[in-house]
Amino acid sequence: MISSLKHYLGVYRYFVTTSVSEALSFRTSFILLVLMDIFFYFSVLFSVDFLFDHMQTIGPWNRYQLLFFICFMLNIDTIHMGVFSSNFWMLGFKIRTGELDFDLLKPTHSIFICFFRYLKPSSLLTAPVAWGLLIYYGSKIGLLWYDWLLIPPLLLLGLSLLCVLEFILCTSMFWLVEGMGINFLRMQMQQMARWPDFIYKYTYQKIFTIGVPLLLIGSGPVHFILDKSNWHYLAGMCLAIVISTLILVKIWNKALRQYDSASS
Amino acid sequence: MQTYLLKWWQTIRISWSKYTAYRLNFFLQVVGPFLVFFFIKYNLWSSIYEGSSTPVIKGYNFSDMMHYHIWTLIISLLGQGYAAMNLSEDIRLGRISSYLIYPFEFWEFHTAGFVSFQILQVFVSSITLCLAVFFGFIEFPSLSIILTGFSFTLFMGMFWFTMQYFTGLLAFWLEETWIMRVLLSIIVSFLSGYIFPLELYPEWLVGALKYSPFPYMSYFPAKIFMGQEVNLTLGYSVLTFWIAVFAYINHLIWKKGMRLYTAAGM
Repeated sequence: MISSLKHYLGVYRYFVTTSVSEALSFRTSFILLVLMDIFFYFSVLFSVDFLFDHMQTIGPWNRYQLLFFICFMLNIDTIHMGVFSSNFWMLGFKIRTGELDFDLLKPTHSIFICFFRYLKPSSLLTAPVAWGLLIYYGSKIGLLWYDWLLIPPLLLLGLSLLCVLEFILCTSMFWLVEGMGINFLRMQMQQMARWPDFIYKYTYQKIFTIGVPLLLIGSGPVHFILDKSNWHYLAGMCLAIVISTLILVKIWNKALRQYDSASS
Repeated sequence: MQTYLLKWWQTIRISWSKYTAYRLNFFLQVVGPFLVFFFIKYNLWSSIYEGSSTPVIKGYNFSDMMHYHIWTLIISLLGQGYAAMNLSEDIRLGRISSYLIYPFEFWEFHTAGFVSFQILQVFVSSITLCLAVFFGFIEFPSLSIILTGFSFTLFMGMFWFTMQYFTGLLAFWLEETWIMRVLLSIIVSFLSGYIFPLELYPEWLVGALKYSPFPYMSYFPAKIFMGQEVNLTLGYSVLTFWIAVFAYINHLIWKKGMRLYTAAGM
């Protein structure tokens, strides 16, 4: 177990090194990526802020509670963008061109090599902005010391749920010729999760909390941070991650069996 | 002249086949995002109006707000497509070498592709409009409003295309032009009134945007479709000015880019 972990960490170290060198070779793109993320953060925040100039609350939350939620989701987005997002785009390309063959031959699990291979180091520069915003709005809603301690593990919990759901969705690329549409669908899933669960009507709320647990990604942790009696959200998230992982493994194996290499 | 027009016609036909070859992909990539965004906006505004003490926010009741968002959905489908997406790839992978010897220029090929995409989008947005009317979300506007709105939106689509063309041409210098495209989308969504009507923005910002192209990309055409009085001359003038600016910039970039171009793989 430990030697296997060491092996994977060693491989991942190389993934990080090659991604950093690649990103730094194209400096203008690197700077533009940072700018793009920062523009995105502020456009989302200002949009919500402008809305609150005309209302006191949205659902049960006031301006700062909702902005804290938005920042929580932006932090999940930042880690997701840095660690995973490029891999989803590359997967479609690799399946279409048959390049996936080379990945499947490598001595690591195929899920690991397909979804952890490419990183975006530009997120390292935007992450402090996202943290700063989270800390600012967290202090505005008066978080206590243990709330601050809860934030990192809850971010990881939300990120894990988002990623497992996206991994499942992306396996459909094995059946489709063109994976671009699936990536757009994946981005729409993220869009939906960027708003708290209570804005959705009852039926949709149930569908996207129980059926496809998208709304748990950010709403679960933030509901819990704001009110500790909402622990059932976290239980639901853990359960959703376990069930989704089992589904992922099953579908992934099926997808690999049906993969028909384009290059061989 | 006839041969020249035939080239355009054939290119439009080929592009049409390309766009419609993977239908599910087309739906997920082009129609899906706007539908999901509308779904979010519908839920968000339902929740806001249910919890609001006043039924009118900045002159909009719930029904007006939904009308506005349905029209922005149709406008986005009609005028803000992804037609120039492959342009940068053509440059980066050295495929423009072919256009240099073809009797049909690079801009002509991509503009024909844009025309084809627009024709397809007229169908898609017309179906969306009919569905919105059928399910009672909006009433079918008068013919003159439809014609005015559609022509303005298609004109705005031309501006969107020149901007997309501009980001595509940056591939002469940039490795990844999708970043510029996404950056542009973020700015346009935020400043055009696509997320919510500009009346909800601070007045200083709306004032500052008056002569920029942004309000004319969602807010202004939505107002036309909603039957409200707008200054069409101003709208067309501002967009014409910006189309001319970007067309000229694109011309300069192309000239400079061609001097730099090394034709990868040749």
